Amino acid sequence: MSTINWVFELNFAVFSVFLALFISELMAAVLLLVAYDATKAKVLPYIVPIWEVTGTFAAFWFVTADFAYPSMLIPVATLLAGEILVFLLLIVVRNASISFAELILKGGRISEKLLYQLYGVTTIGIGVVVLVVLSAIVSGAGVTLATLSFSVGAWATTFGSIPYLLGVVLIAVGLAPVFYNIEALRRITIPFTVAGVAVETLALYLYSPSFIGTGLLFPAVLTILVPVLYQFRHTAPLVSSKLVFAVVGTVIVFSLSYLVYPTAFHGGLPVDAVTTHGPMVGAFYVLTAVGAVVVGLLNVLFILVVWRAGRARAAASGEASPAAPAVHNP
Amino acid sequence: MSEIVNFDRFLFAFTIGSHILIVSLSIGMSIMICLSEFLLARTHDKYYGALIRRLVRPFVVSFGIGTGSGIVMAVELVNLFPRFMTLVSSTGVIAIFYVEIFAFFLETIFLVIYVYYGNTFKGRYTRWALTLPIMIGTLLSAVLIVMVNAWMNTPNGFNIATYVASGSSYTITGVNPWAPFLTASTGYEVFHVVASVPLTGIMLLGGFFAYRYVRSENADERALFRNALRLAVALGLIFVVLAIVAGALEIDDLWRYQPLKYAAIELNPVPGNNLPWTLFGAVSGTAVVGGLEIPGLQGFLEGGKMMPGLSQYPQSQWPPLIIHDTFDAMFLGGVLLGLFVIGYAGLWLLKKKPFDHPILAYVFVAFSALTATIMELGWATDEIGRQPWIVYNVLTVTNAANYNTDIYGPGIVIILAYLVIVPFTFWFMARVFRGKPIEVDLAGPVGGEDVNY
Repeated sequence: MSTINWVFELNFAVFSVFLALFISELMAAVLLLVAYDATKAKVLPYIVPIWEVTGTFAAFWFVTADFAYPSMLIPVATLLAGEILVFLLLIVVRNASISFAELILKGGRISEKLLYQLYGVTTIGIGVVVLVVLSAIVSGAGVTLATLSFSVGAWATTFGSIPYLLGVVLIAVGLAPVFYNIEALRRITIPFTVAGVAVETLALYLYSPSFIGTGLLFPAVLTILVPVLYQFRHTAPLVSSKLVFAVVGTVIVFSLSYLVYPTAFHGGLPVDAVTTHGPMVGAFYVLTAVGAVVVGLLNVLFILVVWRAGRARAAASGEASPAAPAVHNP
Repeated sequence: MSEIVNFDRFLFAFTIGSHILIVSLSIGMSIMICLSEFLLARTHDKYYGALIRRLVRPFVVSFGIGTGSGIVMAVELVNLFPRFMTLVSSTGVIAIFYVEIFAFFLETIFLVIYVYYGNTFKGRYTRWALTLPIMIGTLLSAVLIVMVNAWMNTPNGFNIATYVASGSSYTITGVNPWAPFLTASTGYEVFHVVASVPLTGIMLLGGFFAYRYVRSENADERALFRNALRLAVALGLIFVVLAIVAGALEIDDLWRYQPLKYAAIELNPVPGNNLPWTLFGAVSGTAVVGGLEIPGLQGFLEGGKMMPGLSQYPQSQWPPLIIHDTFDAMFLGGVLLGLFVIGYAGLWLLKKKPFDHPILAYVFVAFSALTATIMELGWATDEIGRQPWIVYNVLTVTNAANYNTDIYGPGIVIILAYLVIVPFTFWFMARVFRGKPIEVDLAGPVGGEDVNY
C-alpha cells in the first residue's frame, strides 16, 4: 500500500514553483529599493514580463489548495481573516503599481522609479505575510489551534521567528546578485548565503530541534552551492540562468516539504486527515494531469520565445554566441 | 452578528462590482485587438496598426489590475464565506475554478509573448494568431466564473437532500465531480454573459472613440478613431442582438428553475396565468401599488404559462424586492441601448455619417456609462435575487459567512484602496491610450517598445 499522499505532493509542487518565482521577485524588490539606478537594467527586463506569470502561479496554488484541503478552509479563514485581507490589499497595490510603472509617461509628477519602488515595497510586504504564515504553519508559532486564533505578537515573540525572517533576508541578499548576474556584488554572495542558511537552521532548531535532520542537508547544500558555482567563470552562466535558477529554487522549496508533512503546525494537524477524499481525489488527479500538460506546454512556449528573442537581440547587436547564457538569460 | 455578515456581503459585492467593470473592458479590448490584427493583416491599413498599438497599452494595465482584483475575489470567497467554499471545494465546483486557472494561464502566457516579445514575430497572421488565445482565455475566464454562478443558482453534483437535512453537520455525500460543469442554468447564463460582458466593454470603448473622434483635429487621429468607432459599432450591434435573445431565454430559465426569484423580479404577489406586467411599483398585501401596469402582458409574453407568485413562499425566504426595480431599470436601459445601437448602426449603413455629429458622440458616451450601469444592475439583480441563499435552497449567506471581526479594519482599507485605484485605472488607461504621438503609433504594433524597462 502506497503511503504517499499524492494530493499533498502535487499541491506542494505547485506551491514550490510559485514560491521559487516569488523569491526571484523578492530579490528584485530588494535591489530596486537599495540600488534602483545601478540594477534596473538587469532587474526590470526580467520582472516586467514575469510578475504576471508569478501571479498566475499564485492563483494556481491557491485553487489547488482549496481543492486539496476543503476541510481546512473554515479554520484558515477563522484563524487568519485579517492577515488574509492585508495580503489581498498588498496584492492589489503591487499589481497596480507595476502596471502603472510599465506604461506611465515620462516627465509627469509620478515617476516610473517611484512606482517600481512601490512595487518593491508591496512585494516585500507580501513576502513578509507569506513568510509569517508559512512559519506559523510549519512551527505553530502564534497559533492556538484549540481556539482557532493567531497572534502576530505571539508569533514574533516565539524563539525562532525573528531569526527565521533574518535568515530569509540574508539568503535573498546573497542570491540576488547571482540571479540578476550583478558582477560587482559577486563577493558578497557566499558570505550572505552561508550566513542565511546558518541563521535559518538556527531558527528551525529554536522552533523545535525535531526540524533538524538529514532532510535539511539537501536544501542547505544546494542553496550554498549556487553562490559557490557563481564564483567560477565556467559555471557562473549556468547558475545565473533564470531557468536553471527557477528549477533549482523549486527543488529546494519542494525538498522542505517534510516540515509540513505528515503533520503541520508542529504536530498539531495530521495532513492526511484533512486531505480531500472520495471521488474528488480522482477529479484532482485528472485535472492536475491535464493542467500540468497545458501549463507545461505554455511555459515551454514562453521559454522558447524568450530564448528566440535573446538570439535575435544578440544577432542585432553583434554580441557573442546566443548559446552563452550569461548574456541571454531566459 | 448580522452586522459582520452584511459587511462580508458588502465587501464582496463591492470588490466584484469593481472587478467586473475592469474585466468587461479587458474583454472588449481583447476582442478589438484580435479583430484589428486580423483586419491589419488583410488590409494593411496603417490605422489598424496604430489602433492596436494604442489599445495594447491600456490592455496591459487592465490585465494587471484585473488579475489583482481577480485574486482578491478568489481569496475573499474563502475568507468571507468559508462554509460556502468548503462546499465548493468538497464538490465538483472547485474543478470549474481549477479549469479557470488554465484559461488564465492561456491568457497570461500569450499576453506576455504578444506584448513583450511581439516584435520577434514578423508575419502579420502570426501576430493575429497570438491574439486569439488571449481573447479566448479572457472570455473563457468569464465563462467559467459564470458557470460557478450558475451552480449557485441551480446547484447539483451532490446529495442536496442529505446536506440540507444534516443541519449544522453539513454532511456532503454522493459527489459527482463533473456534474457542476453543466447545471440547469449553465447554458443560459453563459450565453447571457458571453453576450453582455463584451457588449459592455465594446460600448465603453465606443464611447471613448466617439468622443475622441469629434474632439480631434489631427487627420490621422480622426482616421484612426473612425476605424475604431466602426469596429465598435459593428461589434456592438452583434452583441446587443445576442444580449436581447440571451436575456429573454434567461427569464424563461428563471421561471423554470428559480420561481421565487422570478416572482420577485416580476413582482407577482400571487400566481396566475394571465398576469400583468408591472414597471416599478411595490407589493402591498396581495396587490401591487404604484408603478405602471400593463394588463395581461406578462402572461402574453410567457405564452399563458402559470406564473409563480410570492404568496406561494414563506416571506422569510423572499429576496429583497428591490430586485424588481433593479431589473426594471436594467430592462428599460437595455431597451434604450438596443434602440440606440441599432439606430446608430442604421444611420451608418444609410451613409448618414453619425460619427461626425458631436451631439451623437456625447450621446454615445452617455450610453457607454448606461451599458456599464445595466451590467451592474443585472449582476445585482441576480445576486440580491438569490438572497437569503448563497447556494439556492441549500446554504444561506448567514450560515456561510465568516464572523471574525478582524475583517473590518483591512476590509475598509481595501474598499478605500479600490475607491482610489479603480477610477485612477480608468483615467490612466485613457491617458496611456494617447500617450504617444500619432506619428509614433502609426509605425504599427510592435512588441515591448512602449514599456518602461
